[in-house]
Amino acid sequence: MRVTVEIVGGETREVEVAVGDSYVDLLAPTDLSPHTVSILVDGTPVPEDQPVETDHVRVVRLVKGG
Amino acid sequence: MVDLDPEQLDRYSRHVIMDDVGPSGQAALLDASVLVVGAGGLGSPVLQYLAAAGIGRLGIVDDDAVERSNLQRQVLHTDDDVGRPKVDSASEFVADLNPDVTVDAYETRLTRDNADELIADYDLVVDASDNFGTRYLVNDACTLAGTPVSHGAIYRFEGQVTTFSGEGPCYRCLFPSAPPEGAVPDCATAGVLGVLPGTIGCFQATEVVKWFLDEGESLDGRLLVYDASEMSVDEVPIAPNPDCPVCGSEPVLSSVTEAAYDGRCSLSESADD
Repeated sequence: MRVTVEIVGGETREVEVAVGDSYVDLLAPTDLSPHTVSILVDGTPVPEDQPVETDHVRVVRLVKGG
Repeated sequence: MVDLDPEQLDRYSRHVIMDDVGPSGQAALLDASVLVVGAGGLGSPVLQYLAAAGIGRLGIVDDDAVERSNLQRQVLHTDDDVGRPKVDSASEFVADLNPDVTVDAYETRLTRDNADELIADYDLVVDASDNFGTRYLVNDACTLAGTPVSHGAIYRFEGQVTTFSGEGPCYRCLFPSAPPEGAVPDCATAGVLGVLPGTIGCFQATEVVKWFLDEGESLDGRLLVYDASEMSVDEVPIAPNPDCPVCGSEPVLSSVTEAAYDGRCSLSESADD
């Protein structure tokens, strides 16, 4: 299955996932750590260890500066 | 409701003349109170524009002193302020700009012991802080109190801004817990474009003014992500998260005094501690 991974404020990638792959695997082609982002499906974070069940996610970085 | 005197009708004439604001809208701004957490990069433009707009009472929370490296972006403070408490220079700026505004200066860090009392005294809170502990504390205390929050954050060329109404969704709906200590660099480590907090802080001030005017569409339920390098804006919907530990269907937090706001600010971890 191909999943569109939209990194908000960055690039959008098409990532091939195998059955049983989890959401954290979608970050493998990027330099993003799962601890520093939220992976969103329909505006809600999904647990990174859950199997992928969608064809589109948004990835939002945690930003702390002010 | 405040009646505008002749000097106020002059000072706010460009607001008063607008059908969308008018004398009653300006009176609502003069009647409003806002707590600004952080008088740094974001807090500077927020305080400048809220003071100029005539928000009647501004609280400023910050325990830092002005450093020379702040002056590239923290436009409330001047070279002569280096070494002084930020709340002092910020308060003086506001007082000089607009005598209509009452300033409450709190030279302290927002903590789980003082957050409820401080927040209870204001209609709205602006999160202009620079660390995750304070961000999660502001979110949790305000969500429990039903107090709206304007949220802004900056990193190098990227800025994020949204508004939480106090009735959900909240910051934890989007980011359930903070990253491990040091995983996300701060401005001192990664740098930040000096003008970026001006842009994001002005978005926040715009949201605050609109909130009190009850005008237009708020950012409630959507995160605006601004890329100053590409001059582009993305919008991310934020849905209420039924599993949110603060505003979800089975919340686990009833008071911020029960939680820990260091490390990952995880409510499940604190419950286990």
